[in-house]
Amino acid sequence: MNPTAVVSERPGDKGTAGRALKKDGPVGIGASRPGFLWAVPAAVFFGLFAIVPLIMVAVLSFASWDGLSDPEFAGLANWKKLLDDPVMIKSLWLSVLLTVLGVAVQTPLSILLGVWAAGHQRNRAVLSAIYFVPMLLSIAAVSVLWRALLDPNLGVPAHATWLFGDGNLFGVQAGAIGVLVFVSTWQFTPLHTLIYQGAARAVPQVLYQAAQIDGAGRVRQFFHITLPQLRNAIITSMILMVVGGLTTFDTVLILTQGGPGSDTTISAYYMYQKAFKSFDYGSASAIALLLVLVSTLISLIVVRLSGYDKMRSTMEGL
Amino acid sequence: MKQRARFSRTVVVGGAALALVLSLTGCGGGSGAADDGAIHVLVYGDAANKVEKELVATFNETSEVKVVLDTIPGADYQAKLQTIIRSKQAPDVFFNWGGGSIKPFVDAGLLLPLDSFIADDPGLKANFLPSVFNSAVVDGASYGIPMRGTQPVLLFNNGKVLKKAGVEPPRTWDDLLAAVKALKADGVTPIALGGGDRWPTLMWFEYLYDRIAGPELFQKALDGDKDAWASPDSRKALSMIRELVDAGAFGTNYDSVKFTDQGSPTLLATGKAGFELMGSWEYSTQQDAHPEFAKSDLGYSAFPSVEGGKGDRANLVGNTNNFYSVVKKTKHPQAVAEFLKLMYSDRFVKAQLSIGNLPTTTNTEAFLDTAASPEFAKFQYGMVKEAPAFQLSWDQAYPQSAATAMYQALQQFFNGSMDEDAFIEAMQALPTS
Amino acid sequence: MSKSRPNHLAGFGSVVWLLVVGLPLYVMLVATFQSRPDYAANGPLAFPEHFTLDNYIKDLNSGFAQYFLNTVVVTVCVVGIVVLLVPPLAYTIVRSRGRATTTVFRLFLLGLAIPSQAVIVPMFFVISEAGLYDNLIGVILPTAAFAMPVCALILTGVMRDITPDLYEAMTMDGASSRRVFFQLVLPLSRSGIATIVVFSALQAWNGFLFPLVLTQSAETKVITLGLYEFQTEHGVDTPGLLAAVVLSMLPILIVYLFARRALVQGLMGVGGK
Repeated sequence: MNPTAVVSERPGDKGTAGRALKKDGPVGIGASRPGFLWAVPAAVFFGLFAIVPLIMVAVLSFASWDGLSDPEFAGLANWKKLLDDPVMIKSLWLSVLLTVLGVAVQTPLSILLGVWAAGHQRNRAVLSAIYFVPMLLSIAAVSVLWRALLDPNLGVPAHATWLFGDGNLFGVQAGAIGVLVFVSTWQFTPLHTLIYQGAARAVPQVLYQAAQIDGAGRVRQFFHITLPQLRNAIITSMILMVVGGLTTFDTVLILTQGGPGSDTTISAYYMYQKAFKSFDYGSASAIALLLVLVSTLISLIVVRLSGYDKMRSTMEGL
Repeated sequence: MKQRARFSRTVVVGGAALALVLSLTGCGGGSGAADDGAIHVLVYGDAANKVEKELVATFNETSEVKVVLDTIPGADYQAKLQTIIRSKQAPDVFFNWGGGSIKPFVDAGLLLPLDSFIADDPGLKANFLPSVFNSAVVDGASYGIPMRGTQPVLLFNNGKVLKKAGVEPPRTWDDLLAAVKALKADGVTPIALGGGDRWPTLMWFEYLYDRIAGPELFQKALDGDKDAWASPDSRKALSMIRELVDAGAFGTNYDSVKFTDQGSPTLLATGKAGFELMGSWEYSTQQDAHPEFAKSDLGYSAFPSVEGGKGDRANLVGNTNNFYSVVKKTKHPQAVAEFLKLMYSDRFVKAQLSIGNLPTTTNTEAFLDTAASPEFAKFQYGMVKEAPAFQLSWDQAYPQSAATAMYQALQQFFNGSMDEDAFIEAMQALPTS
Repeated sequence: MSKSRPNHLAGFGSVVWLLVVGLPLYVMLVATFQSRPDYAANGPLAFPEHFTLDNYIKDLNSGFAQYFLNTVVVTVCVVGIVVLLVPPLAYTIVRSRGRATTTVFRLFLLGLAIPSQAVIVPMFFVISEAGLYDNLIGVILPTAAFAMPVCALILTGVMRDITPDLYEAMTMDGASSRRVFFQLVLPLSRSGIATIVVFSALQAWNGFLFPLVLTQSAETKVITLGLYEFQTEHGVDTPGLLAAVVLSMLPILIVYLFARRALVQGLMGVGGK
């Protein structure tokens, strides 16, 4: 799981707050409403450990600093450097590529599995329980597991050359990216399956009964009833995947170290390299800020495009 | 950046308050190395820690101020060191590679010059080989006491595998190419390479550049002469690397193999590969993981000479030595000085020799017979003593900020995803100051 | 779903996925019960001839017991902080009319888009200046902070579903906002609180980057870091490494076996409500 995994602005967060106020407006007696003080501990805590560092990142992105001497103001130098840095541009492209591949592979897979698992048959319950197991492992554990399983000389590839060839998975770009996409699919499909399973169970049965009377087949039912009804779940799950994909870090560090060359150096990892391998904290901060901006932008776009912020009632059944 | 100071002060207060509350409510735990009245010695975590632990235990038996040994596994050592050295949790004494690796710390005024220690006990200087000791002298002041040992890069082999293929350790480049061919025909990977770590790949560049152009070319490049990389000698070295890789010397999946997780040493030990070019620590690694192999079949030789090359065939590359440096803020300079004196003690020299390290004290020669493998120790010692030039690893010679880009270029040229011109361009773009 | 003829295609697909999920898990388990030479000789796909628990014992003795304990401490504290701070926050967001509250809520929404990696550089210096480097508290604080936005969202969602009538009824009885919180809001948000417990616990259990940068010694090592370092140092000891992986999942596996419903519901909650 990623700390920022869910970017779902809850449907109409501010909007509904406003509506709710209006609704119980006439009766609302001041005393029963919590004052701002109730929110202070959480706000202070979050401010200290998330917002303050974020502001520091913004400041540092205009500084030149190696951590040994005091930071010096550097104007736009870090930003200019990044724009001219081919690895930086490549890393953005790789982040997008990994994210898109992740969404493209995981979404259909987990929709199918989720809808299938939503059935109440006994064997499905048993299989679902097994499907869930990768979710019990941490990202680090999963990455370590696959690094060991995919070792060219001591792992599975050495014994399955018909499938893996020379086993040089981590030495060619396609192999390394394939491993990263596969490993995150292996780990995160259970979560998304669960989301779809919950959503599929909430689809009113009458819709299917009506469709059956009309003589609609299974495939037609899936495309005309199930999929449209899963709309909200699809949005939630895709936001999870997009933000998760953009901030992938553990998997890259453990599986590929950004290699071969810089072929899997995604932006989040490049930032880490800039900070803790090259000790260029200024540039690292600029990349970090860029990451924050991009993920804010993407979540806003997704929320807007989907009209997610205007829907509320359909989510209730989840 | 005054803002930063203000920010961090606000945060310190808030953080401290929170920490207090949390510790009162019973959450937390952990060591918090801050100030426990001990000397914290930070070393690179690997098989050699065994000796350091023994040494610390010996020291603590008699000393009032205790030494605590902290280790950080290899891959993260440099990163951690630089991030903590200025913080409250900075160690008192830390492991490093001398020269370039401590220069930024000296420039930032973080290190204690050791000259006063040496004035009190001249042995801290006189008991080490001068060439080695001097590589931790920065701007005329001494900042490091040699520890562990010198680590030249050698061509290790599996004697059994070579014998079976009818191959001798190569003396010339042509020998090596012939050996590659023979081993390949015999169905083994001729040379094990942990390309996933990238620095093992670097060693091939270091030696070929040295043999073809002599040590001067790299020195020029390091001094900022960008034309060095585009010179005919540089291109010749690159084309020879290309030739070797294309001959299948390293197999095809070397970039998926690592040295640090013992992938490539295992290939050598289990007879799946014939050679491995590696620092002298290969010996202690093998002794640790494959003691039988280390005893009976682990062979070694100098890097082959290249016909018509300008570099002497006795030249070495690698880590000249490891050093202990002292942080200025240490509260126990006296005890630290006492601890450092152990580095030239007979006991330390013998202990290092017993795990295959080669200390560079003046008394080392007398104890070579007590080494884990006296033959290996003598071979190494002889080479280091005779070497006209000992090139410090490129990744240590260049500033830290160059390392990532350098590794990427090396790996990509080596595996063929970058051509000669692009490689030269990438090397020219590295920061040199 | 419709009760018609059995769906062979889906059946086939489910078996394929079972293999994709199950085979690696099988290889992992089988490897951990073999000695290292056996594993090297037989390969990852063979069934072990001689069962041994040595790998597990070796791992536990080489520090994993300590890493385990550290992870548990981190997890419990993170969950504690989140459960202590988030419900009052969510309650305020849902019920308060103040402008300040709206601002705070926006702040948390912004927080959703901050990847924890983005702040790692200043976080290191903040934690280190506060004297919390290489101390579990230094890992706990930021981990909890970064779990909060999602938890706040999940919980406000749940609390919004409490109908205004209920608030009105209590208010007319003259209940203070504190009483409303403890007697109405908290009991009715139990499912949401369960979800944030699961979510924040997973965050803490999975935490990698904060411990990687903010700790260094064996006394403060958490299990994810232990795995990473085991892999970087002794990656070829596959049975030992995989035994450590299995150990790392044991506590969650136990939770899963005994409280599957709660865990699954909690995770569904992360996605939906």
